[in-house]
Amino acid sequence: MDAQPYGLIATFDTAAGVYHAAKNVRDAGYKHWDCITPFPVHGLDCAMGVKRSLVPAFALAGGVGGFVAAMGLAFFTGAIDYKLIVGGKPFFSPIPVLPVAVELGILCASVGAVVGMCVLCGFPKLYHPVLKSDRIVSALDDKFLIVIEARDPKFNLANTRALLEKIGGLDVKELEA
Amino acid sequence: MSTHAASATAVLPAAAPAASNANKALGIGLVGIALTGLGLLVPGNASAVAVAWLVGIVFWTSIAIGMLMLIMIHHLTDAGWSVALRRQFEHGLSGFKWLLILFLPLLLASWFGAGDIVWPWGNVNHVLHAGETVGQDPLYQHKSPVLNIHTFSVISVLLFAFWIWISARLRKASFAQDIDGEIKWTQMNYVTSASGIALTALTLTAAAFCWIMSLEYHWASTIYGMWFFSDCIRGALSVGVLVQLWLYARGDFKGILNTKHLHSTGMWVHAFTAFWAYVAVSQYILIWTSNIPEETFWYNIRELNHDGSINQWWYVGLALVYCHFLVPFLLLLSYKNKIVPRRIAPMAFWIFSTVLLDLVYNIVPVLKDAHGNAQPFVSFTLVWITTSVMGVGGVVAWSYLKSFGATKLIPIRDPRIVECLTHHE
Repeated sequence: MDAQPYGLIATFDTAAGVYHAAKNVRDAGYKHWDCITPFPVHGLDCAMGVKRSLVPAFALAGGVGGFVAAMGLAFFTGAIDYKLIVGGKPFFSPIPVLPVAVELGILCASVGAVVGMCVLCGFPKLYHPVLKSDRIVSALDDKFLIVIEARDPKFNLANTRALLEKIGGLDVKELEA
Repeated sequence: MSTHAASATAVLPAAAPAASNANKALGIGLVGIALTGLGLLVPGNASAVAVAWLVGIVFWTSIAIGMLMLIMIHHLTDAGWSVALRRQFEHGLSGFKWLLILFLPLLLASWFGAGDIVWPWGNVNHVLHAGETVGQDPLYQHKSPVLNIHTFSVISVLLFAFWIWISARLRKASFAQDIDGEIKWTQMNYVTSASGIALTALTLTAAAFCWIMSLEYHWASTIYGMWFFSDCIRGALSVGVLVQLWLYARGDFKGILNTKHLHSTGMWVHAFTAFWAYVAVSQYILIWTSNIPEETFWYNIRELNHDGSINQWWYVGLALVYCHFLVPFLLLLSYKNKIVPRRIAPMAFWIFSTVLLDLVYNIVPVLKDAHGNAQPFVSFTLVWITTSVMGVGGVVAWSYLKSFGATKLIPIRDPRIVECLTHHE
């Protein structure tokens, strides 16, 4: 293997083991790393020091955008571009547009949430180096993995390996890129 | 505030004695009732005091109904996270019997005093704007099978009787489980809630129709029960948030309440802020769009005087749009604002207050001046509303605190209590 490896992978037997190991990796200052578990481990995001997701910001932007777009369209067409007197009503009033604007806001907010989730996760992602490891199969069943990526500024093959072994990682191996 | 489940303690504290607080609350309540009573000594003021008293009663009853609904929703969804909060709501339900007793003066006044002291239809000789009397009004004649003081009193008492009965069932099962830990109590609560939630929905709709909507009996809105329900839940949730934070600050909820509990209750508060707006706008928009006088007059009373000038209720209505919906909705979008006690506490109190404002907006314009216009919002009636809310609130708080001291702090043998204590995203 000539090229720089993707990172180091370590196995843990229990959820508690990976939970405490994650705390140690977090405290060691690593940024580009992840835990792979067969089921959601409660509190693991906190132990990893993961910040809250940015998906709500996408949803908010979508919601506000949809609402403003609907109101704006009704205002532009009704009050500026094509003034038409209908039943003596005002050219533009926000009240009858409200249901449409709210619906479009909700639609765009939900689309924004889905798009935001895909963008933040890097979807569509057809390949990931971890898939090359035969260990990924057991991590879908009863094992827990920690992967520290080589692009992390603190990554050092020897030191990182020592850290993973010290915190209880079994079978620490390089992961081919 | 503990940030995650790992810090939840295994020690289950017993409820601290709350007797001194209870007596203080009762004192405040009695002072409030006495001050409201003083209002009756002012000549020509009886109607204003009675309507204010109705506001006080309906406000605290709506909070108790909201708690009742939230408890049943908790049981029906088999929720785990809200077990600790549910116990506080169960204490809140103890107020129903006192609310019934405090409601009786309104009925007694209508029976033995002026029939139209609160509800204009209570006196068939009550003169309407057009000069005809209630008795001559075909619409009244059509609605008179319900809108007469006999049927009305029976309905009102039955509503309270139902709430008292179902509350007693829910409380009994929950408190009994503290002692023996039997699963049958949880199953009993499923059964009570499954039938009770529909009946409570019907009874709270009946309450909204009879007590509030009938104040302008010419007007009808089928969504009115939903509107009342949304205020019930919002009031109960804001009280729930404040009680949780109060117990945390006192130390009782240390190791029980965590960030995620506040986040979850905050999301409920946020969701029902949107729900209230949805229902209130639906009612407004349907009436605005169809634009027929039989319906629009209800909003016109709250916007314009007969001479076309804008009255104070116009601004109250706008205040509701912004203060009861827009501001809390935007602020509650933020995660931080839901979980930091110093931010969510004032917001919960804010919503608690705007629920009251919403009820005032719906009830108080029944008081008319000599020209048939709604009496201004800023008036002496606000004083009687304040004393009424204080009076009824003191009694209800006393009832809550008495119940609080008599049981465990949290349902320690609930099958889902561990799920609650370790509640986490």
